[in-house]
Order: sequence, then C-alpha cells, then structure tokens
Amino acid sequence: MPSTTRRQNPRRPRVGVVKFASCDGCQLTMLDLEDEFLAITEKFDIVEFAEATSNRSEGPFDVLFVEGSISTPEQAEEIVRLRREATTLVTIGACATSGGIQALRNLADHDAFRAAVYPSPELIESLPTSTPVAAHVAVDAELYGCPISGHQLLELLTALAVGRRPQLPDEAVCAECKRLGNPCILVADGVACLGPVTRTGCGALCPSFDRGCYGCFGPKEAANTPALAAWFDSLGYDDEQIGRLFAQFNVGAPAFNQIVVERRSLEAKR
Amino acid sequence: MVTQVTATNASATEPETWFLARQDLATLIARLRDGGRQVIGPTVRDGAIMLDEIDSVDALPVGWSIDNAPGRARLVETGNQRTFDQPPGPTSWKQWTYPPRVTQLAWEGEERQPRLEASPSAPKAFVGVRACEIAALGVQDRVLLAGPVADPDYVARRRDNLVVAVECAVAGGTCFCTSMGTGPELRDGFDLALSELHDGFVVRVGTPAGQRAIAGLPLLPTTADQVSQAQASVARVRATMGEPLPMEGVPERLIAAAESPRWAEIAERCLSCTNCTLVCPTCFCSSVTQRSDLDGEAATAERKWDSCFTLDFARVAGGNFRTRTEDRYRQWLTHKFGTWWPQFGSSGCVGCGRCIAWCPVGIDVREEVMAVSATAPAVPAAPAVPAVPAVPGVPTPVTKAVVEPRGVATPNELPWAQAMVVDSWRETADVVTLRLNTDDARLLAGQPGQFVMAGLPAVSAPPISVSRFHGDGLELTIRAAGPATAQITSLERGATLALRGPLGRGWPVEMAEGRDVMIITGGIGLAPLRPLIDALLAKRDRIARIHLAYGARTPADRLFTAELDRLAQSGVMDIAQTVDRAGPEWLGRVGVVTQVIDRVMCSCDRTIAFICGPERMMQATVDVLHERGVPDERIFVTLERHMDCGVGLCGHCQLGRFFVCKDGPVFSLAELGPGFEIEGL
Repeated sequence: MPSTTRRQNPRRPRVGVVKFASCDGCQLTMLDLEDEFLAITEKFDIVEFAEATSNRSEGPFDVLFVEGSISTPEQAEEIVRLRREATTLVTIGACATSGGIQALRNLADHDAFRAAVYPSPELIESLPTSTPVAAHVAVDAELYGCPISGHQLLELLTALAVGRRPQLPDEAVCAECKRLGNPCILVADGVACLGPVTRTGCGALCPSFDRGCYGCFGPKEAANTPALAAWFDSLGYDDEQIGRLFAQFNVGAPAFNQIVVERRSLEAKR
Repeated sequence: MVTQVTATNASATEPETWFLARQDLATLIARLRDGGRQVIGPTVRDGAIMLDEIDSVDALPVGWSIDNAPGRARLVETGNQRTFDQPPGPTSWKQWTYPPRVTQLAWEGEERQPRLEASPSAPKAFVGVRACEIAALGVQDRVLLAGPVADPDYVARRRDNLVVAVECAVAGGTCFCTSMGTGPELRDGFDLALSELHDGFVVRVGTPAGQRAIAGLPLLPTTADQVSQAQASVARVRATMGEPLPMEGVPERLIAAAESPRWAEIAERCLSCTNCTLVCPTCFCSSVTQRSDLDGEAATAERKWDSCFTLDFARVAGGNFRTRTEDRYRQWLTHKFGTWWPQFGSSGCVGCGRCIAWCPVGIDVREEVMAVSATAPAVPAAPAVPAVPAVPGVPTPVTKAVVEPRGVATPNELPWAQAMVVDSWRETADVVTLRLNTDDARLLAGQPGQFVMAGLPAVSAPPISVSRFHGDGLELTIRAAGPATAQITSLERGATLALRGPLGRGWPVEMAEGRDVMIITGGIGLAPLRPLIDALLAKRDRIARIHLAYGARTPADRLFTAELDRLAQSGVMDIAQTVDRAGPEWLGRVGVVTQVIDRVMCSCDRTIAFICGPERMMQATVDVLHERGVPDERIFVTLERHMDCGVGLCGHCQLGRFFVCKDGPVFSLAELGPGFEIEGL
C-alpha cells in the first residue's frame, strides 16, 4: 500500500517573535532549543525575531509569538496592530499571559512608584497597570511559565507543523510530580508548595529539588487557591508569608491575586 | 542448625511456616537478586518511604516509620531495629506493574504501520507488600487483565512477579483496611509472607515459587510461641484501627446520592490536583499522548497516568462532561466505592489510606464516604450492587452486572489494521465520508452501531462510528471537529489509515423484528444509524413500519440527502425531516426533531426507538417517548464520551457501571437507569 499522504502546506509559515514589557527570557528559551532550532527554521520562516536575526518584518505573520505584558499606552496600541497582522497569535510567558512580576504595581500606587524612581516622573509614560495580552486582544494559544518550557514550545511548534492539537495539559504540577515518583514535600515536610493550584509544564522542577513550587506557570484551571491558602494557615504560615507566596510572577492572575489581596487586608487589620 | 526446606513441615491444613533469623533477611534479598530478579522494596528517600529498586537489605527502612494523618506523612525514627514498621508510603506497586509513562506504539516503516511496543520487563520480586496492596494488585488485575481486552504492557509486567508480603505490625493514622475487608491479616495472594518478630521473621510459604525462593536459606521450624507472637502482633494492628466503618449498603447509597449537596461542599476544599488518584494503588486511568518530530515522522504514542480530576479527562469535541470540581470528586468517589462493584465485582478501594495522607489539604475519604452516603435518598429494596466486601486474594463470586453482549465479541487483543481510502466525498460543509477498503476480516464483520479508532501517525486516534459496511470495506462519515478529524477528512484517494475495531456494542437489530421502528436523530448523528437502517432494510419483511425523524440545523447540514430522498420515494420507510433554520429553497418542516415524533409515531405498544444526537436532544426525545408509553427497555441511545483506548482500559468513558466504549456505545435506557439525566456524570 502507498504511504500515508496528507495535504501539505507548500509554503513555510511566516513566524514572528515580538516582545513588550519582559526580560527576553522566554525568547531565549526558543534559542535554547539548540538541537531542534535548525529543523524549526526549515519548517518555519522566521521573519521577525530581534534576539535571533537582523531581518525585520512588521507583518503579516502566520504565527506570532508575543512575549511581555502591556504596560505603556504605546504597547496597548501596538498589540492591536499586531493582532491584525497575525493569523495565529500565541502569548509566551508569565508576563504575556498574566502581567508578570511587574503586575505587582497593579496593587500599588503607580504615581508614588514613578515619583520614587524617576527624577522627572512626568516624562514617564506608563500605564498604572501591567496586564496580559489577552486583556487587550484575542489570543489563540498561551504558553505559560517564567520562563516558558522549551519542551512545551517545541510541542506547540510540532503540533503546528504536523497539524495536530498541541498537548498542553492544564492539570496541576502534582500530576507530573507524582509521575516522576517524587514524595509530596507539602505532605512529607510541611513545605508550602503551590503545585496543587499551579499549571503543569515545568516538569515539576522545584519539588524535584526539594523546593516548594512558586507558581511560575500560573494557576491551573479551577485553581482552588483559598483552600490551599487555608491549609498553609494550618501548617503555621502567617498572612504575610502566604500573601508573598502568591505575589510572584503570576500575581496578576485572578486566582493568585485574590489571595494576595485577602492576605494583605488581613495583615493591615492587625 | 540449618534446616533445608522440605514439604514435610506443612500439614494438610496449615500453611508451611518457617523462622528466618533477622540477619538472614539479607540472604533472602541477595538470593532473589542472584536469581535474576529486580527487587523492589521500601526505602527511605527524600523524606519519605518510597518503593524503589533495592540492591541489598541495607536499603530497607530499618528503624524508620511514618507518622500518618490526613494531609500529613512525616518520617520518624522508631529507635528500634525493626525493618517493616511503616504504613504505606506515596508509591504503590502500580509504579512497577503499570508505570506512569509507557510507549504504547510506534509508527514504523514505509507504510507507517502502527506497531505495539513490547515492554521489556525483568522478572521482579516485590518485597514488603501489605495485605491491602495484595488486594490492590487483584483489583488492577480485574481491570487490566480480565478483559475482554487485556492491556499488553500490564500483562508483560505482571508476568513473574514474586510477592514477598509483610504482615503489618503497625497501623498508620490513615489506614482503614479492616473497613474494606482487605487486611491487616495476610490470607492469600503471596508467594511468601513475612511476620516480623523482634529477632526475625515467621515465613509462610504461599506458592511453589515462594518455596523455590527460600530453598537453601538457613530456616528453622517455627515454634508455637513464634506463631502466636505473629498472630498477636497483627491482632494488635486490627485493634489499633478501631471499629470498622459501617460499609454495608454504602455502595448503593453513594450511587443514589448523585445529587447530594455534600459534593459541592467537598469541592470547596478539593484542589482537583489529582494526588489522591495517582497515589491510589487501584486507580488505572490513563491517556494516550502523541509524540513526533517536526516532520511527523518518528511518531510514537505514549500512555501516561491520567486522573478523573483533570479538566481534559471528560472532554469531547465541542464539550466537556465534568467541568466542575464537584462533578469530578463525585465521579471518583462513586466509582471507587460504588459502581466499581457492579463493574468489577469488588470495591475499588482497599483501605490503604494513601489518598488521605497524601491529599495536600487532608480530605479524609473515610469521612466523605460516610457523609455523602448519609445524604442518600432511600435506596430501592432490591440492592443494585452487592454489599459484601471482597476477601483479598480469593476470587470474588462474580457479582458484577452482566452487560448483555450484542453482535460480535470485542477482540481480545489490540490489533491495528490498515485500510485504504478508495473514495471520499463531502456530505456537508464540514462532514466528509471516506470509503475505505480493507481485507481485515474483523473489520468486515462489524455490526451496526459499532465504531473504530482511526489513527494517523503523530495524531490522536479518535473513535468514529462506521456509517456503512461493505463486503470489502467500510465507510466513515466524519465531521472535522478538531485537528485529528480535520486530517482524517482531508485524506486523499490512496492514503492509508490505521483502524482498530470494530469496537463496542451496537444496535440490537434483532429486537426490531415484528416491531415498528422509530429512528430519531439529528445532524451527524445519522451516521452511526445508517448501518442500522441498512440492516433493517435487509430484512424489511420482518419489520413492521420504519420511521426516521431527522433534524438538522439547516438544510445544508443534512447527511445522505440523495439517499434519504430515494428511500422516501421507494416507500420502504417513512422519513420526516426538520431543520432549525430554513433557507430559501427549503419547503419542509422547521422546528426541533421531537416535534415530528408525534406526527409519524403510531402504535407505541410495539414501538422500538433508536436515538442518536447530543445528550440534551436525546433526553428531550426520551421524554416524548415516555409520554407516549414506550418502555425504557425499547429505547436505545448511543452515547459519546472521551475515549483513548476504545476497549475499557483507559477509564475516560466510565459511566456508572459501564465503560461506554466496550459496554456501549449503544445502551437501552433501562440499562442506563436514572443516571442518564444527571448533569456532570
């Protein structure tokens, strides 16, 4: 019998990688796929990727990877333009998917921050909030993490190339931690670990090294953060510790943000 | 002093027992390894007692125990030199018999044939298996070996496991084996059983393999005192656990409590994090993940542990049966303690307490089972499920509900057959029919209502109903609902597709004889009913009237339109069609399909109904049929569920006492019972 034939896209898809408020670490994850990077460039035509090539393009893109949060008025306009240029828009990393560590300012006084840092704060055009891309435009897929997982990125690219659904599970970190055969550090050691409410993707990296998960992939679906925070209470953690645990790279994600706000208000009452 | 093992020590009724001095345990472990076995046993790792491969007796957790409570398991020093004084840790033996990740098949060669991966597996010795864990191995055996299809990887890994059991001398704070009837006493299911005394072990020999394993060891005959010390030790463990939970009638009450308010209360605490299911020694649910390189070559399918607590678990194209945490918790608890009985003839719980200790927020399943079953409405007098706990190791009298087989039996292996696309045509904007040729005798012998898993390399294999059987092949009518079906529907002539099947239980065609047949369906739902229509027309003289009520969103969403027109004109059956939204050329009926039932339906006392559509449409249709007096025994529906295996092994499609894939997809309403209409089941 002849081999399987499928309709192949004769043209390499045009891929762009752009950034907003972010550290570039997620883009570097793409470059870190050293063994696969050449194969990726054979499958995809990378037309915009400032970290990798001096070729520049403003569009159009078949696939556009967007790193970073929206934190200035200029960015808020640019993302709308880019959305129009992109057939498939994929956000990458905690900044782009939840606002990043810089979303801590959403809970603070923006003007006071500006005044404290800059001699002429009136020259600084920034928004009072740092928000995820999905708060501004429609997003087709999200890769989470600070930084993203190279494995998940490759999975997404492979799925795009082969034409299948990417395997990006939204289960808890615990599922992968258990498959790896780790004893649960929360149960065995009483260490506060955000694994049960955090999306998988990292390969349960921190718990595998005896550290509690700090939620860098953000909340999993149906994340029951109040129940976990209440359990941390019973383990002897105080409001400040619990609030800080959730006030990290995904502080802007509603399920985490809720605990930060609650615990800060409890602290303030005391 | 050294006595060679002979059979003469054993009387006809008492098991053979010997005494093994403490220092000679090392020799037993070394002998097992020298015999070519991989020895797995408890060991201290990462602040817990884990089941790992051990290279000598030194790896065993001498002087360690665990302080277990809900959500808590702390390693503690005992201050003594005893070896096995620990309740179960987070690993269970399934780590070795049913590993977290296994490559299941690879697509190979020019023709991209899917090939099942054989699992390389050394013979193993499991040292330190507790009574509850022997019961757990038995539970998984009933799921994964009993069939009709056995998991080939599990078969290979369960072959030649030497079980060196240990009778518990301590009970953990989360242990409840006495409630589940599985322990702490070791009764059966072991090759060797050890009871730890202060200076050594009373060894019971359970099987010839166990006997061979201790041949040549420096064993002494046991004294009456040693035997009674061992008995007293396990009796103390039983007493420590206190009064067993009143489990009688609990399975029935849990099933009856599907709409208990307690589920939502548990969901306020439950993290749906999957820990309980992954530490559970009997949970067996898995998913199949596709892997490939960027070219889609070098493709493999990997089976990995999954859990009914994940959102993806019950997802189907365009929907999800269990989005809420309360639905998922109910699914787990009612299956584990309730519907496992009619499905497998035992409880799914063995009382090991892992799910309690290793729940990150300390949810205690002992409390929840009692609390939920207390909220159950009165259970009908005749219990649907047996209430007698299983005795470990003893084959339970088969009390499981027998699902009446229809059509050909499900194959007893997992073969993939190649089929070639010889034609394809578009039925609607997003529905394509593939005409496939195959010489696979099994596929050609398929029955109406059965389905196949259709696989391409690197793409998940979705279940697809057969829409027509031919002498030399079959037709699949497929809606491009996701990437996998999009690829399959775009296959061109000459392409090959791997098929596994025919699977499941189809329509009971013979029951239609002498009756009026009412077929009610909508949109793509006509596809699995077309082979039924073919079969009915093939024996038209033995059927009274045949009615088809067919609904679609728009006239352009109807399948097989030319064929339906021909059938209607020929007068062999009555066809009433209706659409939700008419177009300019539509002169027919507008409205939902249930509205046309009244028009075409005649004598309800001899009507048999076959329905396929979205669950809500089927429920509405059933309501109408009930009003007209059609009994549940003569109303048949075909259900859609997430399926990864198609043969009752992956667990995704479990619904009450059924796996939809192998017990269905066609069910009578009488079989399904009231659960059919509850949201989130």
